[in-house]
Amino acid sequence: MGIEVVDPRARGLRPRPETQAVGVAGMVRRLDWLLMGALVSVTAYGLWAIDGITRHDAGGSSLGHQVLFTVAGAIVFVVALFVDPERYRRMWRPIYFGTLGIMVLVLAAGAATRGSKRWIDVGFFKFQPSEFGKVLFVLVLAGFLAERRHAVQSARTPLTAIGIGLLPILLVFVQPDIGTALVYTAAMAAVLFVAGIRWSHLAVLAALATGIALAVLWLLPAAGLNVLKPYQAERLTGFTHPDNDPRGATYNLRQSIITVGAGGLRGRGVGGATQTGLDYIPEHATDFAFASLAEERGFFGASILLLLYLLIVWRALKIVAGARDLYCAIVAGGIAFMFLFQVFVNTAMTMGAAPITGIPLPFVSVGGSSLITNFLALGVLQAIHVRRSVRRRG
Amino acid sequence: MADRTAPSRRFLPGDPRVAEPYRLTPQLALRVAILGFLALALFAVLFLRLWALQVLSGERYLAQANDNRVRTLRLEAPRGPILDRNGRVLVTNTPGTRVELWPSDLPKTWAAQLAELRKLASVTGVPTKDIVAELAKHGDDPLTPVVVQRGIKQQQIYYLLEHQDEFPGVRLPQSYLRKYPYQSLAAQVLGYVGQISPEDYKALKKKGYLASDSIGQSGIERTYDTYLRGMDGTAQLTVDSRGRPKTAAVPIQSSAPGETLRLTLDINLQRAAERALTYGINLARSSAEGAYADGGAIVALDPRNGDVLAMASNPTYKPSLFSGRKDMKKLAPLLNPKVAQEDNFPAFNRAIQVGYPPGSTFKPVTAIAAMQAHVVGPLTPLLCSPSYTAYGQVFHNWTPLIDQWVDLRTALAMSCDTYFYRLGDDFFKLPSGRGHLLQGWANRLGLGETTGLDIGGEISGLIPTPEWRCKTFGGPPCRGYVDRIWKPGYSIQLAIGQGDVLVTPLQMARFYALIANGGKLVTPHLANDVEQSGSNGQPLRVLRRFGAQPPQPVNVDPTALNYVALGLEEATHASIGTSSGVFGNFKVDIAGKTGSAEKFVHVKGLPNAIKLNQSWWCGYGPFDAPTIVVCATIENGGHGGSAAAPAALKVFEQYFHTTATTTAKASD
Repeated sequence: MGIEVVDPRARGLRPRPETQAVGVAGMVRRLDWLLMGALVSVTAYGLWAIDGITRHDAGGSSLGHQVLFTVAGAIVFVVALFVDPERYRRMWRPIYFGTLGIMVLVLAAGAATRGSKRWIDVGFFKFQPSEFGKVLFVLVLAGFLAERRHAVQSARTPLTAIGIGLLPILLVFVQPDIGTALVYTAAMAAVLFVAGIRWSHLAVLAALATGIALAVLWLLPAAGLNVLKPYQAERLTGFTHPDNDPRGATYNLRQSIITVGAGGLRGRGVGGATQTGLDYIPEHATDFAFASLAEERGFFGASILLLLYLLIVWRALKIVAGARDLYCAIVAGGIAFMFLFQVFVNTAMTMGAAPITGIPLPFVSVGGSSLITNFLALGVLQAIHVRRSVRRRG
Repeated sequence: MADRTAPSRRFLPGDPRVAEPYRLTPQLALRVAILGFLALALFAVLFLRLWALQVLSGERYLAQANDNRVRTLRLEAPRGPILDRNGRVLVTNTPGTRVELWPSDLPKTWAAQLAELRKLASVTGVPTKDIVAELAKHGDDPLTPVVVQRGIKQQQIYYLLEHQDEFPGVRLPQSYLRKYPYQSLAAQVLGYVGQISPEDYKALKKKGYLASDSIGQSGIERTYDTYLRGMDGTAQLTVDSRGRPKTAAVPIQSSAPGETLRLTLDINLQRAAERALTYGINLARSSAEGAYADGGAIVALDPRNGDVLAMASNPTYKPSLFSGRKDMKKLAPLLNPKVAQEDNFPAFNRAIQVGYPPGSTFKPVTAIAAMQAHVVGPLTPLLCSPSYTAYGQVFHNWTPLIDQWVDLRTALAMSCDTYFYRLGDDFFKLPSGRGHLLQGWANRLGLGETTGLDIGGEISGLIPTPEWRCKTFGGPPCRGYVDRIWKPGYSIQLAIGQGDVLVTPLQMARFYALIANGGKLVTPHLANDVEQSGSNGQPLRVLRRFGAQPPQPVNVDPTALNYVALGLEEATHASIGTSSGVFGNFKVDIAGKTGSAEKFVHVKGLPNAIKLNQSWWCGYGPFDAPTIVVCATIENGGHGGSAAAPAALKVFEQYFHTTATTTAKASD
């Protein structure tokens, strides 16, 4: 930007620079090192935690697997760092239809085996498209909204965006995977929010979401129409009355709360954590990993993890503010909120403060797809950050 | 910033095809800030909740976590054995295995739970609905096991152990079952052991009884439960979420076996008494008057101290039916009132739980009362006529063949009814200011009140008084109501032990003991002492002696008592005696009285109640220094001399180790 152009219109007509060529050294220099530090810390902490949590399981510790996926995740992170987000913006349509295609494939395979199926077996690991889909979903919606950035104030834009988003959400919902569907919905809301749709539209959408939730959980079942299977509804609403049926539907929830509480200030250690070690806490390697962590490492150990999460969310929001363009801001905002939502719903669920949904705990829960997706998300964030516009004062 | 975009809006419309340079708009900044605050708020919620659970209520949840995994098992203490007075074992234990269900370790879903219970039911043979009902009773306490069954077969144990994974929450701890080497011997006295009832549990909870405990349900087992039960030990064990044990059971406290209880019963005499009862019943059935004989009781007491030497009741049962696998069909006569009636209530201890009219065995009471009240002197002759007419009513003697003047001794020996009718009438005619002397003496002599026997279930019987009659038939007021008024006939009937009067065989035995020991009321008791169960061969150490309570003198004139005793001796030896045919030739000098009490009885197969005789015989020996009192009664057995007296003789034969030949059939 050598010459200051006087006519503002002339400036507007100037063709946009393609990718700003930043060398590897420049990229490394421009990385958000605080976020890098948080990423490394949370990964290491998560590996240490999951080792303790899974040590008494039948198959032994899952540490080996997780390390393997961490390496894969690091590679994905580096690749994502080098890809200019501009490419995603242009290719949102192929990405969208590709994702949809894979999701339909998973459903078809599930129908063939007559059961719930969320993954495709690719030999060495079970590939779960809906996990990767989380990031892709944000990229797609951000691409669409960036394209319509001038008409973002009209009602048509959010409606179309919702139309685009609803298809993958439904495909995840019927797997059935309510937790992930909720994450998608949260991401969609965040993306619309950051893209700048009108407050009035947001209000209408919020009211609509509340209405749908009420209808699905209360009105329609009262009228004899069950959208959710009874066990799903029970899981979603059970947290409001955990002692209602301690031996039945809310058994898991009750055990989870006991597990968290038993940890106390300092935790019971790996050997003393009976709730985890003797299987009283279900799914402790995946959905309820936070409860087991809280039992083994106590309030201190759980707080460290939560603080690391908070650090990541804070840096992600900083990246939103410093993004190069609206597309990058929307993507960063979507990822940031999605991350926040997952952390909150998962941990609050184990403490009886949120509905029980099958959402993995980022960087802790056993599972390759989830771990790699989180690396991908942070890679995209860093990719946005290293390409931020350098603002000068004056 | 706004001023920099303003010109383009003002002069030229924006060109949508051209990318505008991107800047952070204030609106986006605001929204990012909102997201930031939302994040802070959500994390604040998480930290607060985490703090509340782990730090504020951590202790509570830690306790719950431990409740989850720690199972405190009960190490059952073997129940103490029960011995007879000579140390022969009446009740002991046999090791068994019990099936327990731990509600907290059952499958979490009702369907899976039910499936498991069904499987368990088919293995153990206990109906599913019984197990479910038992579980429901313990619903509030998931950490106390429910006993499904005690004493299962070896095959069933093997099956359950092999399929352990299919039966989460089922445990098979070592248990003990009551064993009865002499089968039904002294069944009603010993009682049985069974699962604690909800009412008992409520009352005994504070004393450390558990809902799954066994407890003595009746008789000796119940009264002396605290000594016999011992102290259960405990062991702890860690289980996983599916109830599978993860560690071996670690003993926390070992169990202490129950103490040994020594009774006053003598096995040989008890067996003789039970056989004598059966013999007496069969004897009665072989005659026309006793054709409906179907039960009875025999009590043998030591008149010096109240030791109960034998206490037999017929029909009887085997207490082993209550231990181990329960056969409801076999238990029905004991538990189901309808079936019990069919079988003539085998669970009743007829010696203490059933009241009978005493008939002529009551005459010594009348005799003592009459002499004490100076209604009659021992040597005053009264006419023993075939009948006695008073108030326009004719009262017959049991035989029309006697018509002579007799004194009290002879009246007792020949059991002259008319003699005693006169006494009854005299009692009725006494001025009301002197009270009801006959009834008063009956009470003083131990009738109409419980004897204080150490096992429960005793009834007081009934000595009817004018007040009782008035109250029972709807009064007061008593005047002007036919039923409520005490008529002279009631006094006359009472004098020969007829009418509304009811006594238990034990009460009668106690009264005859009073005659035998010179006027003292003993307190009958069954328990001798409690002894520490020694290990093999070691002598038992007495921990607590229950000892006889000293007999209580009731201030009977010894002369009067002596006349009664002589009358009883004559009854068994003189030619006019009512049971001399039975006891006359017996080597030991026995004194005693027959009795035949008329009562209306509903008999199976007959539409209306018919009048049948309750057969009685009470007496003691040796006459000079009595050491045993025997009282026998046979329901519907006919005359006392024909059924009860021969039965009583069998007991004496065993006691004195000698036999007698019955020469003649006795009469009343």
